[in-house]
Amino acid sequence: MMESFFKRENAGRAIGLVVAVAFFAVLPLFIGEGSISLVNEMLILALAACGLNLMLGYAGMVSFGPAGLYAVGAYTTALLLLYTKIPFGLALIAGPVMAGIASIIVGWFCVRRTAVYFALLTLAFSQIIHTIIFEWYGFTKGDDGIVDIPVPEFLSSITNYYYFSLIIVCICVALMWMIVTSPFGKTLQALRENPDRTESIGIHVRRYQLSAFVLSGFFLGIAGSLFCCFNKSVFPDYADIMKSTEMLVVCLLGGIYQFLGPIGGSIVYMFLDKLITGYTQYWPLVLGLVILGLLIFLRGGIVGFIVERVAIARQGSRG
Amino acid sequence: MTFQGLIIQLLSGLSVGMVIFLIAVALSLIFGTLRILNLAHGSLYMLGAYLCFWISSTLSQVSGAFWWSLILAPIGVALFGGFLEALLLRRIYSREMLEQFLLTFALILIIGDLCKLGWGVDYHVVDTPWPLNGPIILGGIVFPRYNVFLILCGPLIYVGLSALIRYTRLGRVIRAVTYNREMANALGVNVPLVYTAVFMLGCWLAGLGGALVAPMCAVMPGMDMVVLIDCFIIVVIGGLGSLSGAFLGSLIFGLVTAFGILVAPRLAIAFGFILMIIVLIIRPWGLMGKPE
Amino acid sequence: MLRVEEIGKSFGGLMAVNGVSFQIEKGELSSIIGPNGAGKTTLFNLLTGHLSPDKGRILFKEKEITGLSPHGICRLGIGRSFQRTNIFPRLSAFDNVQVAVMSWRRKSSNIFLRVQKMLREETDEILESVGLGDKKEMTAGLLAHGDQRRLEIGIALGSHPELLLLDEPTAGMSPEESGRTVELIQGLARERGLTLLFIEHDMNVVFGISEKIRVMHMGSIIAEGMPEEVRANQDVQRIYLAEET
Repeated sequence: MMESFFKRENAGRAIGLVVAVAFFAVLPLFIGEGSISLVNEMLILALAACGLNLMLGYAGMVSFGPAGLYAVGAYTTALLLLYTKIPFGLALIAGPVMAGIASIIVGWFCVRRTAVYFALLTLAFSQIIHTIIFEWYGFTKGDDGIVDIPVPEFLSSITNYYYFSLIIVCICVALMWMIVTSPFGKTLQALRENPDRTESIGIHVRRYQLSAFVLSGFFLGIAGSLFCCFNKSVFPDYADIMKSTEMLVVCLLGGIYQFLGPIGGSIVYMFLDKLITGYTQYWPLVLGLVILGLLIFLRGGIVGFIVERVAIARQGSRG
Repeated sequence: MTFQGLIIQLLSGLSVGMVIFLIAVALSLIFGTLRILNLAHGSLYMLGAYLCFWISSTLSQVSGAFWWSLILAPIGVALFGGFLEALLLRRIYSREMLEQFLLTFALILIIGDLCKLGWGVDYHVVDTPWPLNGPIILGGIVFPRYNVFLILCGPLIYVGLSALIRYTRLGRVIRAVTYNREMANALGVNVPLVYTAVFMLGCWLAGLGGALVAPMCAVMPGMDMVVLIDCFIIVVIGGLGSLSGAFLGSLIFGLVTAFGILVAPRLAIAFGFILMIIVLIIRPWGLMGKPE
Repeated sequence: MLRVEEIGKSFGGLMAVNGVSFQIEKGELSSIIGPNGAGKTTLFNLLTGHLSPDKGRILFKEKEITGLSPHGICRLGIGRSFQRTNIFPRLSAFDNVQVAVMSWRRKSSNIFLRVQKMLREETDEILESVGLGDKKEMTAGLLAHGDQRRLEIGIALGSHPELLLLDEPTAGMSPEESGRTVELIQGLARERGLTLLFIEHDMNVVFGISEKIRVMHMGSIIAEGMPEEVRANQDVQRIYLAEET
């Protein structure tokens, strides 16, 4: 009985997925360029948040500094495109690769500690990255940022870049799904639930945590590189604590224990952001209140809430 | 760099350090007893500064207006903090760290914008009060009197707090709750009340810090984040939960930053973080903290 | 099978374990008893690598394992269940055991396989043997206390141990449940040829199933032998009586 239920759910999931991708694929036909740009930004934010959630929701490692690795990806691609003649594809891949390398170094230090000390370490490292970018004016142009980044002809139109982003985000999400539904993914969850017991069943905890950290950093780097070419510019505040918190809020908003949580969270966040900033300059105030509301009333996040309701409805209908 | 210049730099660092000490010690105290890292402490400091500006400018006809605001502003922040604790913080004590982080971050956003709503986005100035305006001149060194006052405040507060914790009944109760909440509860201590009291004390300290710093620097949006990050560094170095650690950490931080600016001005900001990382790796419970 | 030679561990000034030595033969069912604070759980922590001893050696199947990490010791064949229920609360009962089995079969680092169907028979078999076959889809954190204790053992079994250390397996259980758990454990030991070492406070369990009993007090073993010998031992009686007063 369990088998067939699962199969039915699988079919439902597959259909839902096709519908979602199709929706995003045909969207540009119905909306203006400004909106396409927004959806593009949302997709990239969703990717970054999903990357963060690999570490946060699945491995239970709370990082206060994902923006640092995101910025490493963005700046690597930006600097390569600006200063060298490397082909676009390579420059784009170099972003996540560099972010991955940075993650190995930063992660090696950070996973030696747990909980609040781990979080503070990630914060310190991302602030150091921010300082390096900010101060190294000669190389990174510091506070001015890097603008007018050269992007290939065929990607300079908004619609084209949208489809490019969509494809990359879909591939990345598929990869992350594969990771999360593998033995490795399940072991990470066990790690989150009970690191001690996980060690007692034969798992080298530090190694798995570092792997999660690096995978997370890699996907954050992809998001950074994508955003760099989307915006055709990069600024030091890509590594700022506000950006880190944005990603954390998006994850929490959608629900960190759901795979699609960060994606749902990203949609809601961007929608709220653009809506509110249209009316008032006090977006931080509204965001703060939204977070409070979330923490008090919607603890599983929006996607979590939906999943719960669906489960309850299903149980009800089966009597 | 002349000898005088060096001394001035040293004193500069110390005065900065001592102000941040007030917020750092509050952060440490709250973490030690309530077990949460209150990110909004920088905002409460900023609120203290704004209240100080508001009260002293409202009372500008009264002599000694600044001193009145120095008394009233921290009380205002403490009351506000008590309200926050009862309404919001109480709900998240048993929750996971991420939720606590996000709640206190939400408070940063809210308090920050409330200050903007109340006092606008421009910066405000509080005049240095008599008799502390003007410089001290000693052996060829010219240094603002007010900064000397700040340097003296630090140890004064440290001694006062230590005495409170060690010798008063309240201090004993706080220590009991910090050491073992369940046991204290079983012995009849009203733990939620103690939590509120400790939080209000922490807010009072932050408000005092803000009020003290107001004459020295511009009161404006953004001052909350700058001081917050510095505080983290200090409490990590000194040890989360340790009073003397916060004091020691503030001294170290103040001096390292001051001399860092002399040695490598552009990377001085990073020195603090590097120190923080070193401590977290080698001795995560800080110089004076206790391993868990 | 297990040989412990003069191991000691102190915390601050307190000697939690003080020069303990004993041997366990393959297939033996023995227990360690003693008043609270005698150092029993610390001893277990030393055996499973959660703590490293200040002095002495531990040998398992004649190979030195002193100071190895918990995951290394697990691989060698020593398993453990914990005094305070130590499961994976948000995962299902099935997942709880599957994770242990996957680790044993060295599949945990694989990102290409699909976890849903993996090692299903083996995991199901273990769940059945601890009596949780019908509850395998339930969220572990929502199981009744007794079921959680049995899941504890199930997780330990997932690592196919040869020596199983059980820290108060019947803690918090009613007499009937304790009895059932004891039968379960005895059955498992027989079927899988396990060597068992218990820590227990429930004297019925201890005297009912142990072939050998060791009594610890203030960090040392003060008596060792068959149940009747230990029961008659003067020192042991004195300690337990002293505890009652």
